[in-house]
Formats: sequence, C-alpha cells, structure tokens
Amino acid sequence: MLIADDDEHVLECYREAFEESEPTDYVKAINALAAELFDPETDLEEAPKFEVVACNQGDDAITLATEAADKGKPFDVVILDVRMPPGIDGVEAGSRIRKLDPDVQIVFVTGFSDVPRDELARRVPPPMKLHYFNKPLSFLQLAKDVANMVNGL
Amino acid sequence: MRPGSRSLAIQCLTLIGWLQTLCLPRENIMSNGVGTLSLQKKVSATLFAVMAAFGLLTYLILNAVVTPAFDNLENNAAQTDLIRAQRAIQADLEKLKSNTGDWSPWDDAHAYARGENPAFISINADIPTLINLDLNLMLFYALDGKRLWGQLVHNGEGADLASLGALEEGSPLTERLTAHSSIESVKAGLLLTDLGPLMICSMPILKTGEVGPIAGTIIMARFLDDARVSRLSEQTEVDFTAYLIADAKADTARPLKALTDGDGNHIYHETTNTEIMSYGLLNDVFGEPFIVLQAKTPKEISALGGHTVKGTLLFLVLAGLLIAVVAWVFLRREIVLPLEGLASHIVGIRRSGDLSQRLNETRSDEIGALANEFDKMTREVHKARQLLLDQSFKAGKADTAAEVLHNIRNTMTPLINSIERLSKSFTVTSGLRIKDATEQLADPACPVDRKGKLLQYIDASFDHIESVGTDATGDLEIASKQARQVEGILAGQEKHANVEPVFEVLDLDEVVDEAAHVLPESESAELQVSIEAEVGQHRVRAHRVGLLQVMGNLILNAYESIQRSQSDSGEIRVVASSETVDEQPMVRLTVRDTGCGFDDNIRQKIFQRGYTSKQGHMTGLGLHWCANALAGMGGRIQAESTGFGHGAEFHVLLPSARGG
Repeated sequence: MLIADDDEHVLECYREAFEESEPTDYVKAINALAAELFDPETDLEEAPKFEVVACNQGDDAITLATEAADKGKPFDVVILDVRMPPGIDGVEAGSRIRKLDPDVQIVFVTGFSDVPRDELARRVPPPMKLHYFNKPLSFLQLAKDVANMVNGL
Repeated sequence: MRPGSRSLAIQCLTLIGWLQTLCLPRENIMSNGVGTLSLQKKVSATLFAVMAAFGLLTYLILNAVVTPAFDNLENNAAQTDLIRAQRAIQADLEKLKSNTGDWSPWDDAHAYARGENPAFISINADIPTLINLDLNLMLFYALDGKRLWGQLVHNGEGADLASLGALEEGSPLTERLTAHSSIESVKAGLLLTDLGPLMICSMPILKTGEVGPIAGTIIMARFLDDARVSRLSEQTEVDFTAYLIADAKADTARPLKALTDGDGNHIYHETTNTEIMSYGLLNDVFGEPFIVLQAKTPKEISALGGHTVKGTLLFLVLAGLLIAVVAWVFLRREIVLPLEGLASHIVGIRRSGDLSQRLNETRSDEIGALANEFDKMTREVHKARQLLLDQSFKAGKADTAAEVLHNIRNTMTPLINSIERLSKSFTVTSGLRIKDATEQLADPACPVDRKGKLLQYIDASFDHIESVGTDATGDLEIASKQARQVEGILAGQEKHANVEPVFEVLDLDEVVDEAAHVLPESESAELQVSIEAEVGQHRVRAHRVGLLQVMGNLILNAYESIQRSQSDSGEIRVVASSETVDEQPMVRLTVRDTGCGFDDNIRQKIFQRGYTSKQGHMTGLGLHWCANALAGMGGRIQAESTGFGHGAEFHVLLPSARGG
C-alpha cells in the first residue's frame, strides 16, 4: 500500500491502522494461556494488515509507484490526500499513477470538498477502481473498506 | 480711420481687456482646484466677446465703406456746384455775346460806323435801351479805332466813361479789343475796370446778313458785380462768390496758389465742419487768371451718411444684443442648466457613493440621451457593485468556512484515531476472561497446576490492563490536545468575525422585496400569508447583506409565528417612517404580523442569546444575531406585542441616508 499525506500525524495513524504490529509479551502470554485454559472461540478479531510505504508529497508518490512497478511489485492500493502543498495535488498524482498502473485501487482522502467527484472520475478512471473518503477519517472503517476492496480483486 | 472710430476701437479693446482680467483670476482659481469657471460664465463671456467683436467689426466696415462713399458723393456734389457756378457766368457771357451779335450785323449800324447814318445813335442807342438790354456799357468804334460813341450805365444811371479807368481811346488794351481780322471774329470775356469786373464782348460791325466789309467795332459789357453774382447764385441754387485775383485776400491766397501752381487741378477743395469750399479760376478776356470763384456746399450728404452709419450701427447693435440675449437664454435653459444638473448629479454620486440616484431625464435630445445613458451606466455599476459585494461576501465566507473545516478535519483525524485506539484497546480488555479464571480458581476441585496457570493468566491480564490504561492515558492526552487545537482554530476565526462590512445607501423597497423571498412559495393551501410592504422612498445607510439577513429573519419569524398561531391565514406588513433620534435622521422599519405574539416576560428575553420561542431544533441565534448586526450598522431593534394571540411588531431603526 502506498500512502501520501502531507500531515505526519495522519501518516502515523495510517501506519498504525494498516501495518502489522508485533504483539506485546503480555498479549502473547495471555493468548497462549487463554488458548490452553479456555475455548478457542475467544480469539480476538484482527483487521487486515498491509505492507505500508508512506510519503508526504504527490511527486514522491509517483516516484515510489514507478519504482514499485519497475520492480514488478506494483501497489495494490494507493491512498492519496487531495491537498499536499507545496507540490502537485493528489488528483494530479492519482491521474499519473493511474496511467502507470491501470489496475491499482486509488483512494482519495480530503478535508476539502473543492474538487467535484465527477471531475475526479473524469481524470482518474475507471470509477470501479476509484474511492473517496472525507476527513475526519475513521481508520478502523477505512481499514475494513480497504480490506474489502482488496479482497474483491 | 476717423478720430471718432479710433476712440471707439480703443474703448472696445479696453473692454475686452477688462473682461479678460475678470475671467483670468477665476481660471487660476480653477487650476488650484478651489473654484471653477462655470459653463454659464464661459458662455456669457463668449457671447459678450462675440458681441463686442461684431459691433467693432460693423463699425469698422461702415467707416471703411459707407462713410467714404458718402464723402465721395459729397465731394462730387461740391465739384458739380463749382462747375455750375462757372457755367452760370459762362451762360451770362453767352447771353452778352448773343446781345452783341444782334447788333453787329446791321446795315444801320454799318452805315453809322462809316459815318453815313449820324441819326443811328439817337434813334437806337440810349440809356433806357442799355438798361432794357441789361447792359452797363455800349461802345462803337470806327475801323481806324476811333471811338464813335460810348455810354456807361452805373447803378442804373448814365456815368462818365472815364470812371471805368480802362478802355481809353487809343490804349493798347482798346486796340487789342477792337482789332478784328475777320467777320467771324468775337472777343468776349472778363475785364477789370475801376468800377469792378466787367463781362465784355467785342464784335466787328457788319452789314445785315453778316457780310462785310467790316465797318468798325461794337462792344457791349455788363458788370459782374455782387448783385449779378447773387442773382446767378439764386438761379443756380449754388452759394458762390467771385473774388478778384488782383485784390486777393488771405482766405483766397491758399486756393489761388494751389490752382495756379499748374499741377493740372482746376478745382481745389477745402473742408470745414459744416461745408466744403470749392475753388475754381475764371480767366480774363485775354486768357489770364482773373477771378477766383468760391462755391460753398453744405456737408449735408456726409451728415446724412453719418446719421445712416449711426442708425445702422444702432440697429445692428440692438439686433446683436437681442440675438445674444436670446442665445444666452436658450443656451442657459437648453444646455448650460441641464449640463450643470448632470455635473452636480455626478459630483453628488461621487461624494455620496450612492449609485441608486437617477436623473430620469425626459428630454429626447443629445443631453437627454447622455443623461439616460448615464442612468443606465450607474444602474449597471450599481448592480455590478451589489453583485460584487454579495459575491465577495459569500466568497469570503466560503473561503473562510472551507479553510476552517479543513483545519478542523485535519485536527480531528488524530483525535478520532486516538479514540478508536482507546476503543480497540478496551475491546481487547473486554475479551479477557478474568471472571472465568477467578471462578475456576475458587473451585476447590481445580487442580493445583491449573490454578497456577490461572493465576499466571490473571496476573498477565492485569499487566495488560495496566498497559492499556497507560496507553489510554496517552491517547486521552492526545485527544485532549487535539480538542484544544480545534478550539484554537475556532478562537482564531472569532477575531475575523469583526471585519468591518461595507456600508452603502440602500433603497428599503428593494431590500424588503429581496428579503421577502425567504417566504416559502405557496407553502400550503391551508395557510395563506400575505405580505404587504409600504416603505416608500426611504433609504438607509447599512450593510446590504447584513440588512437582507435581518429582514429575511424578521419576515420568516413572522411567518412562522403565524404558522404557530394555528390560524389558516395571516398578514405580514412592513412599513417605514422617518424620525429623528438624538438629532440624527433615522428610518423606522416595522415588521408587523398577525401571529401568536408574546407576553412581556418573553419580550424581555427575546433578544438574548440562546432564547427561542420555537419548539425543537432552533438555537435562538436569529434575533440575537439580528440585534448585534443592527447595532454594528448604528441601528437597533425593538419588539412589541400586546400578548399571546395578538400578533407582534418588530421595529428596526437605522440611520437615514437622506441628504447623501
């Protein structure tokens, strides 16, 4: 997964939501003991995890997407903030990434609703592989939706 | 140029110079931007200058063309007078020649001259005959020059020939006069004698039928005395006098010199104020200058010319003045005043910035078209300005809103993430089965090693809960920090909320008309609300968008109040009136409804923040906001009602825009 957002706090939240994290010792011990002492149905449900590559400019996102495609390991999902000053905006970045990779799922996230959705759809087709989320985000919800779209591949 | 015209020209130039000095300081003032040289003054000054130039030009033309023509005519008349005088004397001389010619070819006289008819004289020539023939002298000479007979008549009586002092027998003069070489010989002319100038004619004495031989000489003469001159003067109606050169006086010396200098002029003129003196010469019988003839011609023609010029000038000046006055009145009424009106209208708009003023000119000429085009232009500029104000206001609001929302959303993302993490952590802790573990531990049948593991599980669970608690504290701190950030963003907005809005002059009927659009269009059949506005021509100085919102709010409140009154119809009336509050002209705008009204308790709270009389969702910001917005425009709002079910009145007081 490639994520581009100019806010470092928000990037941190994305990482937390999507990256695999090593469980703490307590959790490992508890899980081991629980598995031994109680029924297996108590296992806690976990959100799907991704290998996350993050950057905070549109140009960087295009570079990363190009490199990944060259290595033959393109991204499944690209999440783009619409406004990332001072560089190019998310829509422009998404449009160029779409040209590199027609199959990638592109998700636009914005606090602004100043780019109409029909314009987004026109510049970054096809509609089936284009998604929108408005800030403020629920990362849990986002993680579930992204998992669904990847599984739907 | 005549002396008179020169002085008039000088007067005109002085007048123009005076006019310039009158105008110039004003132009200097204008260049300083303090005053202006008005169009009317320019028109007046131009008309006056044109009039002065016209008068001067007319005078000069009349003097250059008409007056000389009259002078010329007068000189010609004077010359004619002199010629007529000369001809009168000449005619008299011709008459004398005719008299002499009657006597000279006569057999009786011929015989007498030859000494053959001694009775001729006694029969034919005596003093009465001379007087009858208007003669003063008659002489008969024999062929040898001997005087045969002679008679002089002076002052009506016979006189001695010697008193003439001329024509003595045998004198060279007599010999010259009596010598006739042929039968056609005639010697006639003037001759000086002691008794005065004499017109004399000498002819040979012939036989009847004018045949020779010449027997002698006959001479007839008459005096050219003052009486004869005055008689001739009367006959010719020319006032003339004859002066002998011999006794030339001082006043004839100059003309005589001019006439005898031989420059070819036979006539000399001298002009006085009242008459022209024309001088000409008369020669004696031998061709020598003898008499200076002076003819006086009164200057009636040039006087008539002068009167004509004056009359024409007076007429033209009066006509010019009339034209100038008519032109001035016309220019003033048709051009100057309308242009001044237009100019003051434009200045008024510039000073007040009130683009709603109109000229409403009804004329169909160019000025009318100009005024109408200007009205159109101000109307368009007015509209464009309103549109621009609205748009900039909305754009400003939209930009601000978008910016604020963006910042808040960005800030809220980590906040929500923290809360989700908290929720996730507590979800994990709620999955812990500590209760099961403690129950199994309390069971005496539980094996010891299982008890040990259960204790381990409980221990690890509490460690986990503690860890979650620590994380939760951190997350809550983050959430709290983000919440404060949101508050900071909102606080930052508050200082921009006091930006001075643009005030303009507003027509209340337009504002009320636009504000009334807040009412739902034919909301329902069961509720009929009519809105009637009688705000006339009142105008206020206010912030347009703000006042629109206030009026929209009041009208909508009135509508909703009617709705709540459960009545099936209602009326909203908006009226305006002028009044003076604290010496300031204000406009009172009243919104009156037939809705449910309110009591005094509500009236005291109605403008407080958060108060609402409506059930449900409203926050009560409307009237509180209206009161604040009006205060910001230098106005205020009051509410009145006589109680529930009696309708309500809201009074808005705003500064009047009367007088710009």
